[in-house]
Amino acid sequence: MAEITPFTYRPGDSILHLLDTRLKFFIISLVNISMLPAGFISTGFYFFMLLFFFKKTGLRFFSMLSNMKFFLILLVFVFLARAFTITGDTVFSSFGVTVSNQGLAEGGMVAFKFFLIMLTGIIFSATTKPSSVKTAVQWFLKPVPFVPEKRVAVMISLALCFMPVILRQAKEVSDAQKARCAHLQKNPIRKTIGIVLPLLKKTFLSADNLILAMESRCYSDDRTDPEFNPSGKERGFFFGSIAVSICLILF
Amino acid sequence: MTSSTELKMTVYSSLFVALIAIGAFISIPIGPVPIVLQNMFVLLASIILGPLWGLASVAVYLVIGLAGLPVFAGGTSGIGKLFGPTGGYLLGYLPCVFITASISKGLGKKMSSDIIAMLIGSLIVYAAGVPWLKVVTSMTFQKALAVGMVPFLIGDALKILAAAFIAKTLRPVVKL
Amino acid sequence: MPKAIIDIKDLSFIFDDGFRGLNHISLSINQGEFIILAGKNGSGKTTFLRHLNGLLMPTSGTIRVNGLEISKHLIETRKTVGMVFQDPDTQMVGDTVFDEVAFGPENLKITRARIKEIVTKVLETLNLFHLKDRNPSTLSGGEKRKVAIAGILVMDPQVIVFDEPFSNLDYPGILQVLATIMDLHRAGQTVMIATHDIEPVIFEATRMIIMEKGSVKEDDVPLNLVGRLESYGVREPCFSKFGLEPQSWQK
Ligand SMILES: Nc1ncnc2c1ncn2[C@@H]1O[C@H](COP(=O)(O)OP(=O)(O)OP(=O)(O)O)[C@@H](O)[C@H]1O
Ligand SMILES: [Mg+2]
Repeated sequence: MAEITPFTYRPGDSILHLLDTRLKFFIISLVNISMLPAGFISTGFYFFMLLFFFKKTGLRFFSMLSNMKFFLILLVFVFLARAFTITGDTVFSSFGVTVSNQGLAEGGMVAFKFFLIMLTGIIFSATTKPSSVKTAVQWFLKPVPFVPEKRVAVMISLALCFMPVILRQAKEVSDAQKARCAHLQKNPIRKTIGIVLPLLKKTFLSADNLILAMESRCYSDDRTDPEFNPSGKERGFFFGSIAVSICLILF
Repeated sequence: MTSSTELKMTVYSSLFVALIAIGAFISIPIGPVPIVLQNMFVLLASIILGPLWGLASVAVYLVIGLAGLPVFAGGTSGIGKLFGPTGGYLLGYLPCVFITASISKGLGKKMSSDIIAMLIGSLIVYAAGVPWLKVVTSMTFQKALAVGMVPFLIGDALKILAAAFIAKTLRPVVKL
Repeated sequence: MPKAIIDIKDLSFIFDDGFRGLNHISLSINQGEFIILAGKNGSGKTTFLRHLNGLLMPTSGTIRVNGLEISKHLIETRKTVGMVFQDPDTQMVGDTVFDEVAFGPENLKITRARIKEIVTKVLETLNLFHLKDRNPSTLSGGEKRKVAIAGILVMDPQVIVFDEPFSNLDYPGILQVLATIMDLHRAGQTVMIATHDIEPVIFEATRMIIMEKGSVKEDDVPLNLVGRLESYGVREPCFSKFGLEPQSWQK
């Protein structure tokens, strides 16, 4: 995944890296939901808290912003849509659109909250190993009826393994196409088929090999359970996050 | 179902989880708007894997994205994404894959029936995505359509035709 | 009389399309042997190997592993006969080296504590322990191959079967894998290698089997076959071509 997204896991040993992934899930869900009714003060407070943890992940704030260009443009849309549609004390009015004080404030808040939710997600991705995301998912799915959580965990592992293989094969296919002057192909349907079909054939062949390898290693759904390595700081973070979400709801 | 066909379907579905995830990032440069492959892989998952396994692969994709692996468009993830402006499209993949697969299966896996099935499936994604976009951003409905659906229709038509052909060639190779 | 681990009687295999893949093969594989399986492309090496741990089932004839008929004892067979496949990228199922090696034992529902112990031991034996948290897809070709071997070794098999272990490797990669395989053999492991490049292994091997069109054509001590290899489409090792004394690749 490293090649496709800037927000992948970065090895490290900060407290956020060591925290039990299940608790991180819990905290993120709790805080994201408490964000909805949050007011200006507590949202701002949360922003500075995020910045503090953000520094610990080793990600760079401005390079992250530039990687989020499209999302930021979408946020501008969200802001404008609110600003133009909510009525109240008029700030200015021309070309038939009216912008109100309330509209600006609310549009700004909503866009800011989306941004913070995004930032929370990025911090999580950067500090959590994909394999521990998998084991945590398995743990949360265990009580859910009709969901074979062990099979889901295996599917997640396999999907994570396939991603680099597919990327490599996609590159091979596109190089082969270039060598055969496929960029001269103007018909978009042919062009799409010319790339996707060989890619899929290759990846299915890899999948067939993988099936044999798994069979020969005695694959079974009934497997050893995963284990968790809590850092010992879970209790503090648990109560801390509850305090934060109460603040968010109240202020 | 024997245990080895079950293993085969598990692996193939995982393969589609990976394809759908990567499809959010790779595109084919055609004209001014590059064709993003994600929804094409969702449609292919439905007609190649069938309703249940197709649903499984989209569900696992959504689960890993929600759980925090950066597999959603733009390299983002998390519960927040689902509540965000584009959350409706992502959730729309679930009914899309199930209904597309059921129609294609019901009509006998021919190229023409696949095209019909994928057309309906694509519309389902918009039926979920556009109203969601409207509510979250409080745009007008016309505006939401203009931003969140109209620009993609031509690309979708191309992708459906290509996918129908790809499915036809791939089915005998995959032997499902 | 050495102990036979695998005993094959009159094995034939016909593919779905009617193609005769294997033709009346009878042989046994004994404790401690190092067997080269040679033959040109399409001679049936891979087809034969896949019968040894039940990935393909005989059309006629029988294969017994430790006296047990394979088709009725799949799990035991797959624990006894480990298989390392040609392309390491498509046989990896874990997203870290450690998880990858732990996959087999997890399928057998071995306890988590025991898995840790045996995986650690195998990684240390193969000098891979420092890579345990790496993503297998980021390793070098030789390292990947060694991780694949570790994933098999951890199941404590009696026989390890390699399909083209040297393909797509550079010279240091070949030496790395070669050294690993030889160490295993010297520690008493029974080894079988399918390859069309016999050069690196001919000195270690105790036996060479040559296949052609699905049949076994020769089965003898390697040095007895040198000089007759070219007629089966197998490249002669250099020393025989140039009339030199045999000299091992290993320094
Ligand atoms: N699924 C299949 N259906 C029909 N024929 C097959 C199938 N798989 C392999 N064959 C044929 O069986 C023959 C033996 O193939 P096999 O892969 O065992 O050869 P090999 O000795 O391993 O060759 P290589 O050195 O290329 O790996 C080949 O002629 C091949 O075309
Ligand atoms: Mg072969």
